[in-house]
This record gives sequence, C-alpha cells and structure tokens, in this order.
Amino acid sequence: MRRVMSRVSVMAVVAVSILGAGNFNAQAEKDRKALEVYMLKKFENPLKNRNAYFPYATDDELKNNIQPVKKVEDFRLGSYAFNKGGLEQYNELNEMPPYEDAIDEGEELYNKKFKNGKSLKSCFPNPEIAGDYPKFDDKKGEVVTITSAINDCLVANGEKPWNMKKGKIAKVEAYFASKSKEAGKKVNIQINSKAAAEAYERGKKEYYTQRGYLQLSCANCHVQGAGQRVRKEYLSPLIGHTTHFPVYRLKWQGLGTLERRLGGCEKNQGEKPHKPNSKWDKELLYFMAYMSNGLPVDGPDIRK
Amino acid sequence: MADKKRVLVSALIGGLLTVAVSAGGNADLVKQGEKIFNTKKIGNCLACHDANGKKINNPGNLGPKLQGLSAWPAEALYAKVYDPYQGNPISAMPAFGKNGVLDDAQIKAVVAYLKTIK
Ligand code: HEC
Ligand code: HEC
Repeated sequence: MRRVMSRVSVMAVVAVSILGAGNFNAQAEKDRKALEVYMLKKFENPLKNRNAYFPYATDDELKNNIQPVKKVEDFRLGSYAFNKGGLEQYNELNEMPPYEDAIDEGEELYNKKFKNGKSLKSCFPNPEIAGDYPKFDDKKGEVVTITSAINDCLVANGEKPWNMKKGKIAKVEAYFASKSKEAGKKVNIQINSKAAAEAYERGKKEYYTQRGYLQLSCANCHVQGAGQRVRKEYLSPLIGHTTHFPVYRLKWQGLGTLERRLGGCEKNQGEKPHKPNSKWDKELLYFMAYMSNGLPVDGPDIRK
Repeated sequence: MADKKRVLVSALIGGLLTVAVSAGGNADLVKQGEKIFNTKKIGNCLACHDANGKKINNPGNLGPKLQGLSAWPAEALYAKVYDPYQGNPISAMPAFGKNGVLDDAQIKAVVAYLKTIK
C-alpha cells in the first residue's frame, strides 16, 4: 500500500514538473531536433542525396567539393563544414587571425571604468556568457541580445550607447566569445515562460516568411538552400549561424556583430534592414540561437 | 487597278519594314535581356541560374541550369518570370513581375533572351 502511494506521488511530482518549468521550450526543442535531422541527412552523403537536396549541383562539385558532414557541431563552421575548397582558404586565413588585437581591446573596454566608477565588468561579472544570449527578460517582457545587454549596461550607468554593428561593441563581444570558447561553453538558450515561447514563435515565423521585393525568406537560402550556391558563394545552414560571432569579414575589413550580418542578408532579400535594436532583430536572433543549442561557442571567427 | 497595285506594293513594303525592324529590335531586345539576366542590380538571374550554351560568370545553383527554353512558348516564360508561384507555390525563385522588380518591357526583353537558350 505504501509502495503504491509513493509511486503515485512520484508520478504526480513528475507530472507537475512537466506542466511547470521546463516545458515552455517543448516546441522549440521539436523544431531544433527536426532541423538537426534535416541538415545531417542532407549532408550525410551529398552525391547520393542529390535528388532530394542538391537537384541543381554539378556532378563535379558533389564528388569533389561538397564533403559529408558527420557531426552537428561541425555546422559552427558555416559553409566551411562542407565546402572543401573554402575550408582550405579559411584555414590559411586562420593561421594569422585578424581578430586577436580586437579581443585584447575588448578586454580593456570590459574593465575600463565609467565616469561613475563602475564598468561593464560590474554588469557582467562573468565574461563567459557568449552562449547564454539572447535571453528572454521576463521582467521587461522582451528578448535581450548580448549586444543590447551591453548597451543597456552603458545607458544604466549614464554612458552613451555604442553602435550595435561594429567597433567597440564587437570588440567586447569578441572578448566574451573567446573567454566562453576557452572555458568550453556551449550555446545554452533558455525558454522559460509563455511570453518567451511566444517571442520564439514570432522569431521563427519571421525566419520562414518571404519578404523584400524579391520575396525570399531566410529559410529559402539557409534551410532549403544550404549547400547550394548563390553565384559562387555556398550557403551556410541555419544551425551554427550564431555560434561564432562576432566575425571578422574580409568584405568589411573588420569585425561585425550578428546584427550587422543580418542587415546584409536583409538587403539580399531586397528589403530595407530592420534596426539592430528592434524587436524584430532580437526575436529573430532568439529563434536562430535556439537552433544552435548545444553547439560549442566558437567565436570570434573569420568569414569572407 | 494601278491604284490598287500601288496600295498592295506599299503594304508589302510596309510589311517588310515591320519585319526588318522587329528583327533588328529582337537582337537589341535579346541583348537587353541578357544584360538584365547578368546584372546584380536588375534581374540578377545568374545568382541562381547557369544557362546552357552561354558564357555566364560564376552562376549559382539555387535554381536549375536553364536549358531547352527556346522550345517554351513565350507566354510560359513570361509567366515564370512574372510569378513563379503560379506554377510552383513553393518555388525559391522571386516573382520579378508581380513584385515590381522588372517591368513589362524588361520581362519581354528577358523572355527574348531566354528564347535563345538551347
Ligand atoms: C538570397 C540569399 C539569402 C537570403 C534570402 C538570406 N541570406 Fe544569409 N547569407 C547569404 C549568403 C550568400 C551568405 C554568405 C555565405 C554564407 O555563409 O552562407 C549569408 C550569410 C549569412 C550569415 C552568416 C553566416 C556565417 O557563418 O558567417 C547569417 C547569420 C545569415 N546569412 C543570416 C540570414 C538571415 C537571418 C536571413 C533573413 C533575414 C538571411 N540570412 C537571408 C544569402 C542569403
Ligand atoms: C533566388 C534564386 C533565383 C533567382 C534570382 C532566379 N531564379 Fe529562376 N528559378 C529558381 C528556382 C529555385 C527554380 C526552380 C523552381 C521553379 O521552377 O520555380 C527556377 C526556375 C526557373 C525557370 C524554369 C526552368 C525550368 O527548366 O523549369 C526559368 C525559365 C527561370 N527560373 C528563369 C529565371 C529568370 C529569367 C530570372 C531572372 C529574371 C531568374 N530565374 C531568377 C530560382 C531563381
């Protein structure tokens, strides 16, 4: 009798915990797993999977350039996970990483005193936080990205906010990313409330919505299009898109944040980019980062 | 009678003239279409398409290599470029006409060029 009772009460506790905290990410987790299965299947054997995933690729590139991807972690490399020719170039560039000074400058900015004697360090005592953002702030009822969090800290301390695309903010983020990477941190996006789950859903909807005068969606290029080419550029998969920012881009001749990159891709769609501090950008990034949950933090990095 | 003949002759000349003009116009149209196809700020078709028998500078493969289009009716090509979702609701190809990227004259030029793709 006692045994039965206790089993019943254990089940009751389990049921409560499923209904309570921890269940708000159920849909997101389902989406993430489905995307992982899709990408791993797509890149398991590109030549064999031609009909399903690479209908317009040449035999030559399927045989000689698009390599199988075995582990989901490899997608943090973006298109270099499968683009053999590109990877060689990438490895060469990484022998002398052009972002090293930026990491040091970021550390200085992190410790530098504000006029009121505090610093970014007062707001972010632990710099190993690159994988924890974006977060949903239940008090404010909105998504906070690492970029907006840095500016919030500045403003709260009577300082002027920084440009959210490049410059000082990118350097501080480079420092956060490199500390997080050194510590072996993983992307760890939380969805802990109904409001957070709704923000995630809105971000997801935007990702799959065709827009701009070209009526392309992000997914056209980075889900279905991943592994295909726009001109000679291989398209990287959505999984792994947020793991390694900020990036030093040859095209920019400098570091840029995720927000900066988003703006460029919105232009690809034929759309006027949203503002980096907009709800739109933040919720989109919340969705995108969740899709990389569990992948190692790998920034800063370099891209063409 | 002589009058009638004169009318006929001038009609014939007129007809020949139209043909000649449209042949010259067609070559121009094809050229114009080719430019739209290959220019980033206009059609930018090469971002996604190679074209059989043409020299295209680094074409993408988000879309198929275009071939055999000379056999397509001009209306079908026009429709494809105007609004690919008509034939394929999940196409990743932009609707150049419907979304106002290319106007009627530009699409006609693109179609003239597409008709030269074997
Ligand atoms: C017309 C195609 C196209 C569309 C639509 C598009 N992108 Fe991109 N995107 C690219 C190309 C090309 C690159 C550079 C090559 C690469 O890394 O994929 C890129 C790169 C990126 C990167 C950088 C990846 C890295 O590892 O450095 C991110 C992030 C990104 N896109 C996000 C988005 C988002 C978000 C949207 C929608 C708002 C979007 N893209 C829409 C073509 C596109
Ligand atoms: C962002 C990518 C993209 C761009 C840009 C693009 N297309 Fe396409 N196109 C596609 C895709 C994907 C298909 C295959 C699916 C379909 O038929 O809708 C396609 C199919 C076609 C077809 C049908 C080919 C066949 O054999 O069935 C034609 C014709 C065509 N495109 C012409 C054009 C022209 C002309 C332009 C520029 C004015 C253009 N495309 C720009 C992606 C693109």
